[in-house]
Amino acid sequence: MAATARRARAIRPAASRSSRQLAKIPTGITGLDDVLRGGLPAGRMTLLSGGAGSGKSLIATQCALHGARAGEPSILVLFEERAAAVRQNVLSLGWDVRALERSKKLFLLDARINPEAVISGDFSIKGLLAILDRQCKAMRARRIVFDAVDTLLQLYGNPARERHELNGLHEWLLDRELTAIMTVKADAQEGPSRYSFLDFMADCVIHVDQRVTVQVTTRRLRVVKYRGSGYGRNEYPFIIGDNGINVIPITSGVLEHRAPGAKVSSGQAGLDHVLAGGYKRGTGILIVGTAGAGKSTLACLFAQAACERGERVLYINFEESAESMVSNMQSAGVLLQPSMDRGRLVVQSYLPEATGVEEHLLRALAALDELRPQHLIVDAISACQRMGTTHAAFEYLMRVLDACKQRGITCIYINQAIGSDVVSEISGIGISSIIDTVIALRQLPIEDETKRQLIVMKSRGSCHSDRFHDFRITDRGIELAQA
Amino acid sequence: MPRAGRRPARIQAQRPPRANASYSFRLFVAGNEPNSTAARHNLKQLCERYLKGRHRIDIVDVFESAAAALKHHVVVTPTLIVLKPKLGVTLLGNLSETSQVVATLRLNGNGR
Repeated sequence: MAATARRARAIRPAASRSSRQLAKIPTGITGLDDVLRGGLPAGRMTLLSGGAGSGKSLIATQCALHGARAGEPSILVLFEERAAAVRQNVLSLGWDVRALERSKKLFLLDARINPEAVISGDFSIKGLLAILDRQCKAMRARRIVFDAVDTLLQLYGNPARERHELNGLHEWLLDRELTAIMTVKADAQEGPSRYSFLDFMADCVIHVDQRVTVQVTTRRLRVVKYRGSGYGRNEYPFIIGDNGINVIPITSGVLEHRAPGAKVSSGQAGLDHVLAGGYKRGTGILIVGTAGAGKSTLACLFAQAACERGERVLYINFEESAESMVSNMQSAGVLLQPSMDRGRLVVQSYLPEATGVEEHLLRALAALDELRPQHLIVDAISACQRMGTTHAAFEYLMRVLDACKQRGITCIYINQAIGSDVVSEISGIGISSIIDTVIALRQLPIEDETKRQLIVMKSRGSCHSDRFHDFRITDRGIELAQA
Repeated sequence: MPRAGRRPARIQAQRPPRANASYSFRLFVAGNEPNSTAARHNLKQLCERYLKGRHRIDIVDVFESAAAALKHHVVVTPTLIVLKPKLGVTLLGNLSETSQVVATLRLNGNGR
């Protein structure tokens, strides 16, 4: 008996926690299951609405394919697209639909209505249900997707009939305990949709949209309702990447951050002295200064020292290529190439405006998970505004720092100040409040030379010097005058 | 050649069927639900009136022959497919709008 019970639980993992808890099925979409606290309601109906090109069909398709691959046979009912087009679309994302169809785990039903058909009098979708009944039994289907159900409803041209048919379909689904996803076209700008009754019918409602802000396109997803379950209540950015949909949830509050770690050398003995031992591991550090003040040099010194200790550093550079960075640092006596050759220092150079903020964010998070570095350097956060807006930059920097703090990774942000009054310009796109240590560099013109100075403006939970320290950049790196 | 073979079929669809042409229908119904019963009745009446002695009605119940429904993409019921003559038309619904059905099936010249 016990073995049977255990087996039953293994098949429905979500139900195992508690019988009172709603059973859920994972969508298999990165991030979306986090937002949905586990997945879609099992045996219930979920509505996905959004405008043209918002990605709703792909989300639904991906969920069906995930089910099919995980052993839950799935049916895709296509009211708008040709089955061949869907196969082609998902093939470009690396999923082989044909193989799943051959193994009877997936069935694509072309349910497009002949556009030349003439309607005379009332009708119902009994034909569709008969086909589906047969197919469900034959393949023991557990998931079903109705893509572009509005296309079917349009045939009725009568709100009362539309509602009646959908009610019938809903009952049919509930009777068979199928987990269903319906996609419907809806434009948020156009006010309440004529299909808003679907929102009331469904147990879970997700809206997706695509918008353009300052020439950069972003996609957003929001869970509007979820009966009997908690869910992430924000709007979440998502992208359609090489492997399908990726949703970026805000995964944490500060509570999930790890406590700052032990001190680690900044790579410069004089600065270590000023900071009473160096930076703290797993904290956020901001290095701010005017162009040419030595910000990158200071960060690279730290990277070099870390790599020499055998640690790994990820350097995200929005300003220059890895090659030019290596050669520039060489002239200041900082040798990066050996660490790169040993795979300890990884430099990723990107043009900020090349993609939207979501894609940058996903790349950064993927790199953190893949490389598992002890330290991250972003050079320079002032360039992040070119990802779209100041808000986009703020979102990127907040989330990257958040991810670092959760993983205990030291995060160094470099910010270029525009004016010469560095001290009053440390704000760094509004993120200074979550930064633990701020180091400002400035250059003072004195007669015919420039005097370089460094000051530690803030260092949480640590004592530090609070005066300006003169320093020089030589071919042996940065030399800080000992106080 | 197969492509060339397909085109005239469309052109033919525009042309009215010759007088006294025989008609062959396939009507997809869903058991005895009201719309299906009405469609059966309406089609029968029209045939009696316009196509006496030269029609054939093949009724397919989707609950019994779901495979046939799948094969012919029958999403809604009732669905009327005209097999002969090649009019290239499909009618959806219970066929209650008589004048529209008559026009679509080009029965006008065939009446009494």
